[in-house]
Amino acid sequence: MQNGKNGTLVEVRDLAKTFKGKNGKDVAAVKGVSLDIRQGEIFSLLGPNGAGKTTTISMISGLLAPTRGDARIGGYSITRQGIDAKKLIGVVPQEIALYPTLTARQNLEFFGRMYSMGGAELTKRVDEVLDFIDLTDRQHDKIETFSGGMKRRVNIGVGLLHKPRLLYMDEPTVGIDPQNRRRVLDTVKRLQSEQGMTVLYTSHLMEEVQEISDRIAIIDHGQIIAGGTLGELIQQIGEEDRIFLKVGAAAISEAQLAQLRRSVEGVTKATHDRREIKGEDDAVVDVDGVITVLAKRGRKALPPLLQAAEEADITVLSVEVREPDLEAVFLHLTGRALRD
Amino acid sequence: MSKILNIAWKELYITYTDRSLLLVMIVTPLALATIIGSAFSGMVGGGGNDIPVQNIPTAIVNLDAPTEFNGQTFSMGQTLVDLFTPSGDAAQDADNVLLALTDAAILSDAEAARAGVDDGTYSAAIIIPANFSQSLTVTQDNLSLNVAPVEVYTSRAAPVSASIIKAVTENIVSQFVTGGVTVAATIGELVERAQEDVGFGLQFAVGSANWQPDFAPAFTPDSQPITISQQTVSRQVATFNPLVAFGAAQALFFMIFTAIQSANSLLYERRDGTLQRLIASPTSRLTILLGKLLGALANCVVQVALLFFFLNIVGIVLSGRMQIIWGDNLLLVAAVIFAGSLAACGIGAVVTAIARTPEQVNIVGGLIAMFFGLFSGAFFDLRSLGDLAILGRATPNYWAVDAFTQLSLGQTAITTNLLVLLVIGAVTFVIGLGLFERRLNV
Repeated sequence: MQNGKNGTLVEVRDLAKTFKGKNGKDVAAVKGVSLDIRQGEIFSLLGPNGAGKTTTISMISGLLAPTRGDARIGGYSITRQGIDAKKLIGVVPQEIALYPTLTARQNLEFFGRMYSMGGAELTKRVDEVLDFIDLTDRQHDKIETFSGGMKRRVNIGVGLLHKPRLLYMDEPTVGIDPQNRRRVLDTVKRLQSEQGMTVLYTSHLMEEVQEISDRIAIIDHGQIIAGGTLGELIQQIGEEDRIFLKVGAAAISEAQLAQLRRSVEGVTKATHDRREIKGEDDAVVDVDGVITVLAKRGRKALPPLLQAAEEADITVLSVEVREPDLEAVFLHLTGRALRD
Repeated sequence: MSKILNIAWKELYITYTDRSLLLVMIVTPLALATIIGSAFSGMVGGGGNDIPVQNIPTAIVNLDAPTEFNGQTFSMGQTLVDLFTPSGDAAQDADNVLLALTDAAILSDAEAARAGVDDGTYSAAIIIPANFSQSLTVTQDNLSLNVAPVEVYTSRAAPVSASIIKAVTENIVSQFVTGGVTVAATIGELVERAQEDVGFGLQFAVGSANWQPDFAPAFTPDSQPITISQQTVSRQVATFNPLVAFGAAQALFFMIFTAIQSANSLLYERRDGTLQRLIASPTSRLTILLGKLLGALANCVVQVALLFFFLNIVGIVLSGRMQIIWGDNLLLVAAVIFAGSLAACGIGAVVTAIARTPEQVNIVGGLIAMFFGLFSGAFFDLRSLGDLAILGRATPNYWAVDAFTQLSLGQTAITTNLLVLLVIGAVTFVIGLGLFERRLNV
């Protein structure tokens, strides 16, 4: 077991996966991804649904055989030394991958044995994990009696059982309340700070990724389109502020947007998004329209921007200015919001 | 290996700690078998547990040509026929248990006899070949016996009665043959000694000059009566416990469900994500598959074993006496349980491997289980199916139920049943294992 250059734990090179589509044609889900993950860092893979992040991770964790390329975990090739590589990986899938009619302890013991653990070592380690996920007092209760947050904690516990060097967490906060989400994020940070664990984290929630990640890769259409620390990513888009002008249901023409771009110094981009708000009977009850303006030093640009809007016959209902963040980076790189 | 056992144990534990599953797997078949078995028992046996089997309609066709010996005519075929027909001597007939056991009809046409079996007139037809007596005759030049086989053509729809007639006929013929073999061995020994001992050889040569070259069939009814004991016929052969047939059929019917559902759990695990978790562990895919299939096999074996145990208790309660309704050879009973479970699991694996979703498995599996159940007598007497009853032979249930029935009657000639079950199991297991591999592509 060894690390690669500069303490690299995971080396992914030209990883690609092609599936057969329903029409019989090949569909490239991942088109040659390469990335490095360093020992002890939290590395996030960010991308919208269908971008290829789960397929990429499935190949790295040995669930899917790549069509092309390879990944090395601690020096072990996932394609040629799969069993050795898998010993170093802990997996926390997005769904609650537990047996509901077994107790928390039985689940942990079962999966522990699948990692060749047994006897006193397994008992001790299960105790430690139960303590870590704060479920010692519920260890003999069946999973089916647990709340969503508790199940999520056991789900994480199973991934930690064999003390993996790399923990892969696939959208671990999906479908849980804010309190439990906070608990999961704190757990990830504790794993890094207390145990020096390397974490590969996927999410489509910008705030989460921004909060916990040391480095981030943005994946879209099966390709890594940007990577680095948050600061490095923001630098890539020129540290522009985003100004949101709410315009309600008003129709905004391309000519009006062009007038905004022309009239105010520092404005690099102005786009209009219109979202229909539907009621219970699926009828449109309201329209929420927003003009998003990218501008250097946005607060300074705000007064002339409002002036220009008035001159362009745009009625602004409210204004919001945001500093550059991950969402801005994503929007800049992909031309669409992550939730799209 | 420990990982295979870990997965199999998990399967077993999850199954047998689920109360609703136990209700379906154990309580329901037990209740059904008890109700059906009791109904038949009350109807036929007057409330007892065992049904005395009697008056089995049997056709006998004697094609045997009598053989001449020392001026006398011997007809072993007729000897055999006489055992099944009244002699006219009331005292002698009272001792002949075969008269009560069978209702024999003497026919001259073998094809007519077979047709009678096929149309349900007879449960079995005994067809004695033309050279039967001749084949039981030993000559000085040829001391080996090549006995012409007596054909017992049996009804698929009445396996119990048919197997009784088959067993009785084989028993009688074997006693004919034993006599022939004894004579042959004695003469053979004399010839051998004559060749080694010159003095004895001279005496033997002088003496044998006066002998006839052929030896009559060694068995004669006068000197060596047939020994089908009253006890054997009444206690083991001629009593039929409906709990055995219906209980075994119900157990097998529900076991097919268990086998298919156990295999189906792989698709459910894929849907729930636990399969992905197993594949992500340092465990080969073959290990995961073998663990799952071993778990399915264990589920089936335990289910049938438990059902048999409880059915036996029901049998004891109904009859009011201590007994093992499955017969004395529990080792063979266990072997059939294992072989039947293996076949069922193999079929479950194939069904699961072919289907795309767990729901598809439930539908297809249900249809298969119903088909198997119908054609193994789980719901009604197979005779009511007529010619269609032959379809039962394509099901593992038929072979297993038939084997359990025979074992309960004290017969152990179930090699064919075991072989069929093991072949079905082995073939479907291998096919299922191969097809299952693609189900692990998550």
